[in-house]
Amino acid sequence: MQVSKEKAMEIIADVFESLFRTESIESKVDVNKETVVLGPGSPLDSIGFVTFITELEDRLIDETDDDIYLIINDIHEFNIASYTDQFLAVGVVAEFIEKLTEEL
Amino acid sequence: MDKKPIIVITGASKGIGRGMAEYYLTKGFLVAGCSRGESTLNSEDYMHSQIDVGNEREVRKWIRSIKKVYKRIDALVCMAAYAPANLLLTMTSAAHLEPVLKTNIAGTYYVCGEVAKIMMQQRSGRIITVSSMAVGLHEVGTSAYACSKSAIVEMTKILAKELAPVGVTCNIIAPSIYQSEGVDALGDEVIERAREKLTFKNNLEIEELCHVVDFYIAPESKQISGQVTHLGLVC
Repeated sequence: MQVSKEKAMEIIADVFESLFRTESIESKVDVNKETVVLGPGSPLDSIGFVTFITELEDRLIDETDDDIYLIINDIHEFNIASYTDQFLAVGVVAEFIEKLTEEL
Repeated sequence: MDKKPIIVITGASKGIGRGMAEYYLTKGFLVAGCSRGESTLNSEDYMHSQIDVGNEREVRKWIRSIKKVYKRIDALVCMAAYAPANLLLTMTSAAHLEPVLKTNIAGTYYVCGEVAKIMMQQRSGRIITVSSMAVGLHEVGTSAYACSKSAIVEMTKILAKELAPVGVTCNIIAPSIYQSEGVDALGDEVIERAREKLTFKNNLEIEELCHVVDFYIAPESKQISGQVTHLGLVC
């Protein structure tokens, strides 16, 4: 089952909410496609980023009932190829998820 | 969710890994083990998977399968190792060196990485990696094996720092001689030369090794991380 960009954004927002509840991040994040998840301005430190990816993976597995792996290097390459940015934003992660799940 | 603690042991079909799997089953743990071959260990509390720890993809799938079944991982012991025959460095070819590095360094790296992600989420866990007396003895002919085991120490100490903020500890056991196929592969000459240099010359018993793991995984050891426990040798 493909996960649309919009659905991926919802799931990402849920992950941020969960990270706040579990005190992995200090304050609530108003998630939009420009929200930085990795790089300057990100509310996530390196441990928070790994936890974010792991939890996002868990939620995508629940959503699709498929074995989904979010490989950080693949996301990075997708980001560089699409945007050549030095940071990773929520919108790019959502696009990556849509592309990753298009053949499910 | 099952309340029994969950321990993951690599290299669980033979040698120390097998002994540890049996020990923790008797202690009431749920044990998830792996090896390249099959296991003859039969217990409803034991889950065995045939994987190559040097294959990142296989490791990723294996750890996910454990997470699916048990929902968490309390402790990891990285026992899987490849002990090559004794050879001078100048005689060591890539074909001889690469499986050592792949299993001992990359294998430990991949398993620790995947398990650490789960432990970071649960904000608890104990990781124990395995070095060797070979690191301190600098024996002729052990360059490939000893350098791989030395790398594990460095890797584990760095991982200990990285995971400290989430309450996960990482420690190292450096055993001396435990009678196993892996140690036998080093050859009698190397083993006996090493034995002469040991502080305690008897072979280790499985209970001695498990005692160290018990210490590291105890709740009271929550601030003990990045440490190496040598058995049989004063370093």
